[in-house]
Amino acid sequence: MSPAGKGSDEHNGKISQEARAEIKRRSAEIGRRLEAARPTLQDLAQSNGDRQNASHEAMGRALRLSTELIGGIVVGAALGWSLDNYLMPYLFGVKTWPLMFIIFFLLGSAAGTLNVVRSGMKMKTGPSDPSRGRAVPDDDDDVN
Amino acid sequence: MMMTLIKGSTVAAEGHGHSPIEQFEIRELVPINLFGIDASLTNSGAYMLVALGLIFSFLYFSTGGRSLVPTRLQSISEILYEFIASTVRENVGAKGMQFFPLVFTLFIFVLVLNLLGMIPIPGVTFTVTSHIAVTATLALLVISIVIVYGLYTHGIGFFGIFVPSGVPPALLPLLIPIEIISFISRPISLSVRLFANMLAGHIALKIFAGFIGLLLGGGIWALLAPLPLALTVALTALEVLVAVLQAYVFAVLTCIYLSDAVHGAH
Repeated sequence: MSPAGKGSDEHNGKISQEARAEIKRRSAEIGRRLEAARPTLQDLAQSNGDRQNASHEAMGRALRLSTELIGGIVVGAALGWSLDNYLMPYLFGVKTWPLMFIIFFLLGSAAGTLNVVRSGMKMKTGPSDPSRGRAVPDDDDDVN
Repeated sequence: MMMTLIKGSTVAAEGHGHSPIEQFEIRELVPINLFGIDASLTNSGAYMLVALGLIFSFLYFSTGGRSLVPTRLQSISEILYEFIASTVRENVGAKGMQFFPLVFTLFIFVLVLNLLGMIPIPGVTFTVTSHIAVTATLALLVISIVIVYGLYTHGIGFFGIFVPSGVPPALLPLLIPIEIISFISRPISLSVRLFANMLAGHIALKIFAGFIGLLLGGGIWALLAPLPLALTVALTALEVLVAVLQAYVFAVLTCIYLSDAVHGAH
């Protein structure tokens, strides 16, 4: 605002021109200090949160992936074993042990790997984090 | 000195209340016999009833006010609702919201049971989700709903999820069995994950907590007692995290499996 101050607010405020200039200077000063402080605060909070999230996520990921792999192998082996020992002898009267067991063990390993790859991909693309990005625009958004 | 320790540990193992797996014992509280079926109320069943009572009363009383500006309790309920609702929407889509009651029930039930198991009450504390009979039942419920709903909406075309798209037909005889095994392994990994996490965590807690007593009773070894104590404190915090995380993982995986039933083959 120019010191001449010929706008309508000349009638509104009872503050003198000097006081007005002083307030403006101080508010600018506060704004400058806030701007200087904000990135560091944000970085601090973010790096803190990131570090914690990373360790939590990594553990959850490890627990999940290991059971995915084991689940596939166990199911494959169990299917092959029961085919060998029950289904094939009773249905067709042939003794296939350990052929089916071997085949289904390999298929099960492939299925386990497939599970791991699938859930790994899902984690990578994963559901978006709603906390990232501001939902409500603030003053900065208008300026920039 | 080492002998004292070893002797102490065997005595502790024989004495009651110190075995690390004793906490998983199922005990009969009220014998009930229904037409030859043993339907007794056990400590496991009692814990489930307590969990149900807690969940019901919490949700009932916290949402009873229905104020526009939520009270603290009401906002906890609202956060829980929105958390699960967004999980369902993200993983299944808007069409999946019909399964919201199922996912919410599973999540809150597993969560409360996991957390109840973390409250130490001597001679009482029991973690229901550390038994595979419980987690496998929940997983079978989920996978049955997936199969029944998938067949209901897509008919026989539901089995198209076993046929991966965009692969040469020559590979299909190999890939279809793999996909089928992968599908069958889902309820197994779902139930084993929850049960194994809770079981292993509680055993580890008990073992490290047991070391404190053993070291304290071992003369000069008592100087080392703060080490397992610190580890037990850290493990307790980790177990609370695991309790929440595993309930969430159970809910997320339920959503992922349900999305197959809702959307069918891609």
